[in-house]
Amino acid sequence: MSRTRIGLLHGGASYHLTTLADPVVAGYQPCPLYLPDLDEAAGRARLDELDVLIVCDRLHPQLVRRHGQALLGVARRGATLVVLGEVEAHTWLPGVDWTPRPTNFWWWRTGDDPGIQVHTPEHPIWHHLDTKDVVWHYHGLLHPPPGVTPLASVDEEGATAGLILYEDRVSTPGRILVTTMDPVHHHGSNFMPAATRLLHNLLRWVSVAD
Amino acid sequence: MPTDTWGSTTTQAARYSGASVLALTMGDDSGLAGTPRVADLDLYRLPGFDLSRVCGLLLGAHLDQIFLRRHQGLLDEFISRGGRLAICGQVVLPFAAGLTPFVPLAYRNVDDLTVRRVGEHPVWHGVDPHDLTFRRGVAGFYGRGYYPALPPDALVVHGLGPNAYPLDAIYPHGAGEVLLHGGNDIWGYAGDTTSAARMTPQLLDWIMAEHGGAKR
Repeated sequence: MSRTRIGLLHGGASYHLTTLADPVVAGYQPCPLYLPDLDEAAGRARLDELDVLIVCDRLHPQLVRRHGQALLGVARRGATLVVLGEVEAHTWLPGVDWTPRPTNFWWWRTGDDPGIQVHTPEHPIWHHLDTKDVVWHYHGLLHPPPGVTPLASVDEEGATAGLILYEDRVSTPGRILVTTMDPVHHHGSNFMPAATRLLHNLLRWVSVAD
Repeated sequence: MPTDTWGSTTTQAARYSGASVLALTMGDDSGLAGTPRVADLDLYRLPGFDLSRVCGLLLGAHLDQIFLRRHQGLLDEFISRGGRLAICGQVVLPFAAGLTPFVPLAYRNVDDLTVRRVGEHPVWHGVDPHDLTFRRGVAGFYGRGYYPALPPDALVVHGLGPNAYPLDAIYPHGAGEVLLHGGNDIWGYAGDTTSAARMTPQLLDWIMAEHGGAKR
């Protein structure tokens, strides 16, 4: 079987560059794609060569939005699009709403329950991710179109308030995985072991595409 | 580079008239809106922007360092002619005179992340290093690594851990100066209830001090 061709769309921030230099990440031989290069046809053409495109967290939202259709094109031709947090995905992914929530960086110290629930335990993603990898802070809640597969949600007052991780196989012939967590930022900033595990395990999952 | 979403020239003129300090942003905001003589400027609009009346630039942890590196000449000239640069975050691609890469610290405990004052500078006057080490009881927000290869004439203000690895430093270049902080943005502490909040006004005072800021 040929190697899965993974693209990492990044914005040149320190944590993007540090993540690209991480030997574990480099082991997947990802193709680095610098967001401003998508302004050129040659940059956009590189999207056509990928099996998986990972849109790194914390990109300039106006730039991402401008290229939203090109990014969606990856899923529309049947490949995998992974959209990480803080890229205003609700402004360029079809049918998605987002509601803000205060970011609780301190839940593990204050004893607050972040209210994160894991869904669809039979989903193959959980062969690669530990459920603990998705229990940390998140940046707002997603309200996706009907028919998607929920993978992690936030419960408030006993009911699901929104999703923080889901897989969409209904909107396009491919698959779109969306989260409001920002693992590249925290991994690349040398700060949070759970973020590192989420990033590394996501890469492992997409590299064995099922 | 982006050309389509930056607003009309009239709006820009109003926003930037009288601004002495620009906070460079990535489609977000610096949180300094409403501070007199400070304005946000999208990083991608920096080339071609008239900096002749600007005395300082705030460069935060989320900026595109590939783009900054491509415009190092602009930044170096700004410092050389007397401008002041405050750079926060982790420098991976050195993009201005005197910068070298940040090194992450292999920390094991709170002692490794304890901020130690090793020099004095007006930006940190009255700031208790304890309020930098801990934020809501959590260590590490202020710094998790260091700059091992600073210019020889750098003044190191804070070091990290028992070995006081350099975390905060100021060094001259030409007629200007660079303030380097290897952690989360200093101006992100402006709303804190501790002495850490003093850093933001003191940073702006320091930037404007040598430029007749108080006289205008």
